[in-house]
Amino acid sequence: MAALEEEFTLSSVVLSAGPEGLLGVEQSDKTDQFLVTDSGRTVILYKVSDQKPLGSWSVKQGQIITCPAVCNFQTGEYVVVHDNKVLRIWNNEDVNLDKVFKATLSAEVYRILSVQGTEPLVLFKEGAVRGLEALLADPQQKIETVISDEEVIKWTKFFVVFRHPVLIFITEKHGNYFAYVQMFNSRILTKYTLLLGQDENSVIKSFTASVDRKFISLMSLSSDGCIYETLIPIRPADPEKNQSLVKSLLLKAVVSGNARNGVALTALDQDHVAVLGSPLAASKECLSVWNIKFQTLQTSKELPQGTSGQLWYYGEHLFMLHGKSLTVIPYKCEVSSLAGALGKLKHSQDPGTHVVSHFVNWETPQGCGLGFQNSEQSRRILRRRKIEVSLQPEVPPSKQLLSTIMKDSEKHIEVEVRKFLALKQTPDFHTVIGDTVTGLLESLCPDLMEIALKKKDVQLLQLCLQQFPDIPESVTCACLKIFLSIGDDSLQETDVNMESVFDYSINSVHDEKMEEQTEILQNGFNPEEDKCNNCDQELNKKPQDETKESTSCPVVQKRAALLNAILHSAYSETFLLPHLKDIPAQHITLFLKYLYFLYLKCSENATMTLPGIHPPTLNQIMDWICLLLDANFTVVVMMPEAKRLLINLYKLVKSQISVYSELNKIEVSFRELQKLNQEKNNRGLYSIEVLELF
Amino acid sequence: MGEFKVHRVRFFNYVPSGIRCVAYNNQSNRLAVSRTDGTVEIYNLSANYFQEKFFPGHESRATEALCWAEGQRLFSAGLNGEIMEYDLQALNIKYAMDAFGGPIWSMAASPSGSQLLVGCEDGSVKLFQITPDKIQFERNFDRQKSRILSLSWHPSGTHIAAGSIDYISVFDVKSGSAVHKMIVDRQYMGVSKRKCIVWGVAFLSDGTIISVDSAGKVQFWDSATGTLVKSHLIANADVQSIAVADRCLISCSKKRQLLLFQFAHHLELWRLGSTVATGKNGDTLPLSKNADHLLHLKTKGPENIICSCISPCGSWIAYSTVSRFFLYRLNYEHDNISLKRVSKMPAFLRSALQILFSEDSTKLFVASNQGALHIVQLSGGSFKHLHAFQPQSGTVEAMCLLAVSPDGNWLAASGTSAGVHVYNVKQLKLHCTVPAYNFPVTAMAIAPNTNNLVIAHSDQQVFEYSIPDKQYTDWSRTVQKQGFHHLWLQRDTPITHISFHPKRPMHILLHDAYMFCIIDKSLPLPNDKTLLYNPFPPTNESDVIRRRTAHAFKISKIYKPLLFMDLLDERTLVAVERPLDDIIAQLPPPIKKKKFGT
Repeated sequence: MAALEEEFTLSSVVLSAGPEGLLGVEQSDKTDQFLVTDSGRTVILYKVSDQKPLGSWSVKQGQIITCPAVCNFQTGEYVVVHDNKVLRIWNNEDVNLDKVFKATLSAEVYRILSVQGTEPLVLFKEGAVRGLEALLADPQQKIETVISDEEVIKWTKFFVVFRHPVLIFITEKHGNYFAYVQMFNSRILTKYTLLLGQDENSVIKSFTASVDRKFISLMSLSSDGCIYETLIPIRPADPEKNQSLVKSLLLKAVVSGNARNGVALTALDQDHVAVLGSPLAASKECLSVWNIKFQTLQTSKELPQGTSGQLWYYGEHLFMLHGKSLTVIPYKCEVSSLAGALGKLKHSQDPGTHVVSHFVNWETPQGCGLGFQNSEQSRRILRRRKIEVSLQPEVPPSKQLLSTIMKDSEKHIEVEVRKFLALKQTPDFHTVIGDTVTGLLESLCPDLMEIALKKKDVQLLQLCLQQFPDIPESVTCACLKIFLSIGDDSLQETDVNMESVFDYSINSVHDEKMEEQTEILQNGFNPEEDKCNNCDQELNKKPQDETKESTSCPVVQKRAALLNAILHSAYSETFLLPHLKDIPAQHITLFLKYLYFLYLKCSENATMTLPGIHPPTLNQIMDWICLLLDANFTVVVMMPEAKRLLINLYKLVKSQISVYSELNKIEVSFRELQKLNQEKNNRGLYSIEVLELF
Repeated sequence: MGEFKVHRVRFFNYVPSGIRCVAYNNQSNRLAVSRTDGTVEIYNLSANYFQEKFFPGHESRATEALCWAEGQRLFSAGLNGEIMEYDLQALNIKYAMDAFGGPIWSMAASPSGSQLLVGCEDGSVKLFQITPDKIQFERNFDRQKSRILSLSWHPSGTHIAAGSIDYISVFDVKSGSAVHKMIVDRQYMGVSKRKCIVWGVAFLSDGTIISVDSAGKVQFWDSATGTLVKSHLIANADVQSIAVADRCLISCSKKRQLLLFQFAHHLELWRLGSTVATGKNGDTLPLSKNADHLLHLKTKGPENIICSCISPCGSWIAYSTVSRFFLYRLNYEHDNISLKRVSKMPAFLRSALQILFSEDSTKLFVASNQGALHIVQLSGGSFKHLHAFQPQSGTVEAMCLLAVSPDGNWLAASGTSAGVHVYNVKQLKLHCTVPAYNFPVTAMAIAPNTNNLVIAHSDQQVFEYSIPDKQYTDWSRTVQKQGFHHLWLQRDTPITHISFHPKRPMHILLHDAYMFCIIDKSLPLPNDKTLLYNPFPPTNESDVIRRRTAHAFKISKIYKPLLFMDLLDERTLVAVERPLDDIIAQLPPPIKKKKFGT
């Protein structure tokens, strides 16, 4: 989401800005430093983070700077032109501009253009272009005339496209606009006529341009207040021919066209532009950021002291003259995601997952079993199994393994574990593994899960997911894939831990009643009031049995238990997202359906929890919905069978947002109440009260 | 039990000054704290964090470093370039010595405690030898190019680490030469700070140096090779703590219903308002007259006020700084007040640690920092020095708490460690000494008629000692036998004031920062099973139950934090609160951080 941050003023020094404002703000070779040229005689080098000037240079009284100072990124020197023809080059150490290198040129300079990675270009007022080095070699060389009489350069910009410098400049003659594109390496100059369209009276107030592989996207802000876009090919089909370009409307009426003050437009990135001007003829000037892709206003900032109608953008800073002082407004555009929109973007580990000590207590593996798992049931089951184990007369291989692990070297343990895993599954296999992995870390035995994945041993995988706090996200995702893809029949044979699953079918009668309730009141919000009427209608048309589907568990209980293990596992979003993209779409939909089902179950009671011993929490469910959608949105959105689910999820999100907005409203009232309460408690600075002690 | 009109005062606009540095003494378990106004306080961590001693501040002394040396000697150094040693017995500054290196930023005592190292503005590190009664300059280490902000000794005492601006130096103590210089990176994550100030260094026994700096980094260095081992970014947050001083800053004149507030550099006199209304428990009564700010008395000079007092009749105000004692006579004519300074104070009344007026305002008791107690007779507009009780031979311990009996016959004085001395004011001689107790006295008062001395200690024990009988009272013995309620002992703020009800001899009124309590000696003591504090008034319980559950401690937690509470008359109390929110509101913004919500 694009945002403007708090503005700050660069210095209290009043710049001698003329009626047209400043001559220019240009980057220097240090990221944080900028050259500001006022409309008089002075160039100031500012350090933005310190908000203060580092240096200031002036030309003599009587001389006037006619072209903003730029930095030659290849030498670190500064270049400025005064009195149209006199070029000066200096660096930080120089004090007096009068004593620095000087070259008098034979023609008047419109602008010097400099970008990182190439030598500066000098654009003359007659349209000719020279490289700075070539010009300095012979300052008095003849400069040809490119543009016609009475044609005036209005705006120019210099790009480097694939290491080729490309210069574009716009000229105007009798209300007609022309664009010249100069490929500097090939010396091809192409001229285009900009067609203004129907509204012949409109005058272009400001230009900006961005460039991609093939086109220069020239954006112009017209006097009718609209932003137009013109695409200019970088490599023209026929450079000789005079070509016309049509503009297309990009944004309508972003500023008032007939405002007295100047307006300015700057492209911030591919999708955002900044516009300076008054939104209404009478209102104060504003800096607004528009998203041109969605045509929405992202943010705006009022500039009550007025501006000069000039706007510069470098790096993350927008520069403008606000009142009398140079103001910097930092601009940030952070990547947005659904999780972010829901306020669920995670920065820390899920608090729901338990952290296990990194020390393994080998002395007590028998006694504790799955001891730190806080459920009675699992402990009981294990204990029962252990009794069975101990009833066997001879020492089973598992016992041997355990004793090996307890006393042997790491290398030997590895060998033994491999040997053990290769064995045919014994009835107590998982108990032993359970004993073994308790308190272990995944990183201590990386092969265990690998083998389990290979063998598709879901029971072992579930155990590992429950016990290891440090499973890599790729492995978690691989488990998820297996859990989603394994056949129901093969699931029947396994003996997975079902403690996280509650038998939802038990209270199916109750369910139906609840179902009605969820339709009407989803977490305190009535979806009927939803503005999404058409999708509601669509939903209502669906036969009843499909509605039923959403309230019966979409997966079998054993699979639900496995998926719950995934929900409980710890992960980091950044690492998990790429792996989630590999899961087939049907499986994603199935998982989403299951998560949605869990959500509905959650919202059935006031505490927003699921029944059962160790159920997934609402946060885990919501996080995973967000994760899956963020990772696979484009895939899911194309699937017809996921449409209903998506609509449901959309409504879910919408209802949540509504609930929160209602809560926000309530919060204001609560705050007032609290204030009243405080006033009651805080009886001012002095009071006389009655106290009785009992 | 007791119904009072309570003057609830919140206009005492006192803000404790910030803590600049702390030094912990392992042996005595004491913490020395210096504040931004130059005050140095010593807290006894074994005695419930009680503020045992304090040295008043001075405007020109900005203490930058504090350290303890061998024999529990406390040194401080500051931006005035002086090293000072504090006399912890007499509670004054023993001596101040210029280090001749400009402002001092850091100080560290050697592991043996026999040497002192200071880091100065001019980049010098100076080594001092600690002699039994002074310190002596030994030598300079290699001069560095900018100020030395932090110092740390290697536990063996052979090397030291010195943090400066942008670098850390390691010195060999024997030769005084710099062995290594480690440049601290100014940048972190691409953000360039202007200068990286190494605020703290720690030298570990394995040779690792840990530094913390203004860029928010914690870095580990190897002192043998001078290389960076590890670097961590922590939050760039300032940490400050606040604590409201335990010492009494408020005194009151019961007769005229006046309150005197003491600030670092001025005194404020307020008159309480009044009301004619009555009401039931919890009611706020309409004021017929609001409280007035009568007087704002500013001190001259840079020294902070140590103590102040207003006489019970309201016509005298006395206060003292480190070097001068001031006495003012107040005259009231209708609403006008005139103030007249009593000139020509005798030389011995120079610096008082505690001032107290007798109940009839005819006598002034002054505890000087030399350990002497002076009695001054006040009459009309003049005064006469009556007597000085000199400290017991061999001791120089300063008295910092005084209590006088309402009949004016007995004066009790307590120092920081030894017992409470009781003097007979009529006969001008020492009457008796209450046996010394392990924990310092936090408050004491003498009851009317019975002349029982009630003493509260920092471990929350309360004793009652009969002065005429020179022994603990029966009630006190019973309490000691049975013991206090466990919740009473678990309170973490000391009792700061004790007073008595003129008509109810069985009642003792006392308070700490969070509760006000009336002990009714006629009622049974609570045992650990009974509810010590019941915030709800008894409803419709029968008298029998009420009588059965009633116990001696009647507690109210309505007023907090409570700085001062006293009885004005039989039915009126005055409570001075200092709401923490008001203090927080005056702190610089980074200190209060909102954690949740937006």
